[in-house]
Amino acid sequence: MKPTGLETNPSAAEPEFERGQDSRRPPDLKDPRVVLSFLEADQVVAAKERTHFGRRNLSLGVRAMLWGLRLYVVVMLVLVIVSALRAFHLVP
Amino acid sequence: MNAEKKEEKNSVSFGPAHPTTDVAAASPLARDLARLLTHEDVNRARDRWAVSRARSSERHSKIGGRLSLAWLLVGPGVLVFLAENDAPSMLSYSATGARFGIGFFIPFVVLTFAMGLVVQEMTVRLGAVTHRGHAELIFDRFGRFWGLFAMGDLVLGNFLTLVTEFIGIRAGLGFFGIRPILAVGVGLAVVSAAITTGRYWTWERITMGLAIFNGLFVPAALLARPPWGAVAHSLVTWTPLPHGKAFDILLLILADIGATVTPWMIFFQQSAVVDKGMQPLDIGPGRLDTLLGALLATVFAIAAILATSPLFHHGIDASQFQAAEFAQALEPWIGHAGATLFALGIFEAGIVAAIAISTSSAYAFGEVFGVGHSLNRPLREAWPFYSTLLGSAAAAAALVLIPHAPLVFIVLIVNVIAVLAMPPALAFLLLLVNDPEVMGEHVNGAWENAAAVTVTVLLICAGLGFGLATVFPTG
Repeated sequence: MKPTGLETNPSAAEPEFERGQDSRRPPDLKDPRVVLSFLEADQVVAAKERTHFGRRNLSLGVRAMLWGLRLYVVVMLVLVIVSALRAFHLVP
Repeated sequence: MNAEKKEEKNSVSFGPAHPTTDVAAASPLARDLARLLTHEDVNRARDRWAVSRARSSERHSKIGGRLSLAWLLVGPGVLVFLAENDAPSMLSYSATGARFGIGFFIPFVVLTFAMGLVVQEMTVRLGAVTHRGHAELIFDRFGRFWGLFAMGDLVLGNFLTLVTEFIGIRAGLGFFGIRPILAVGVGLAVVSAAITTGRYWTWERITMGLAIFNGLFVPAALLARPPWGAVAHSLVTWTPLPHGKAFDILLLILADIGATVTPWMIFFQQSAVVDKGMQPLDIGPGRLDTLLGALLATVFAIAAILATSPLFHHGIDASQFQAAEFAQALEPWIGHAGATLFALGIFEAGIVAAIAISTSSAYAFGEVFGVGHSLNRPLREAWPFYSTLLGSAAAAAALVLIPHAPLVFIVLIVNVIAVLAMPPALAFLLLLVNDPEVMGEHVNGAWENAAAVTVTVLLICAGLGFGLATVFPTG
């Protein structure tokens, strides 16, 4: 990922609480560095707005499958409407 | 994390920035960072601090730490499954119990929840790894053309389902003699109250607190004094098989599947996982959360079948029953207390699902249009998100109050439409969760793919069976 300008927790690791440290005391979230230390790099809203996953290349097979499923939904929706109208005795 | 695979989109600006506090904004060192942070980030960091603290305690082998971690990370999975035990779903289970009694449909419902578990587990991984909602990922990876198709299915399904939730709310409170306009107003007020918190965590706990009342069907079932031996026998042998018209049986099979696996669940749980701030480390607890939700929902769904099974044994025709009629018809066998629990259960099912489904629509809207979409944001920062949430609920509520609106028609087809829209939704889900550029090391394994493909094929077969029975109604 290209730099977002945000220095954040780059990995899934979380800040460790050492023995003896008063972990019950809430962190000072007024300090943005503390906020960022608890979040992954791309978990920050500003970073998410700047970076996006790019388009993937859809192979012919994948496109055929998606079109097939789309056709399936349309045909089945028509059948649902027919069966519902039949249930209401609006069609024979 | 596979963040390096993402591309910077220069056309997207940072949008309005909100200094977290005056102190942060005043500090020369922190000013730049504070300018970028939102309330959403701060609230999420607060939740992550609590998770870090619990995980740290767990590392020191404290049972309290483990329980605390489980308490903090439970949520999206339980919510999605209990919300999916919604008004039309509970009515489907009730119709199943009333028309076929104890038999094939008891283990069948267990199977449908197993299918739901396979699907929803993938959304936990997608959300925790990418920190993106499902709609956003579909638009990013497949483009606007396919994204709009997916959104079309979601919007249509969500709106029709929301209407049925308000029908359930109206019918549930109708048992107590409450007028429809008042009942629908109560439902809308609860949906509105749930979003005034400005905190995902608070919203989640309030909604989970409401959702647990889905368990009202359990005492209602116990009052029906079901033959437990027959229940155990049906779970093992899948018998007795249902008898009757093939079309009617297929319609109930589809309705029961649609009561467990629907597109909105995929969109909702992934967005909730993101809003909760879950990270790859939380995938394990997220799976347990989803399993817990599936188990609870299975028990409550079977309870609804058992509660209405006396109608089958006494030969009562329940084919035209709605919620209030079920409760009234059951009164001679499970007493006034049981009927009251049943009616309250339908009301609860409608309320919780209305909250979850309208939130699912709002998440998807925000992700697609690139506007703030988090329950961690105050109203003034994310008013389009909250407007969509309330607007969709209000439109559904209003439709329920229109005289002669085709409500029975909508109830009849909503779960069937959900099943028919699932195969394309599952295809997008499977493509995303097998995409190494998106998932990195968390892509699906062979067994996960086999299970997911099996679920997809079963759904398509069920849909095709329904189609054949429609075209050849005498078959």
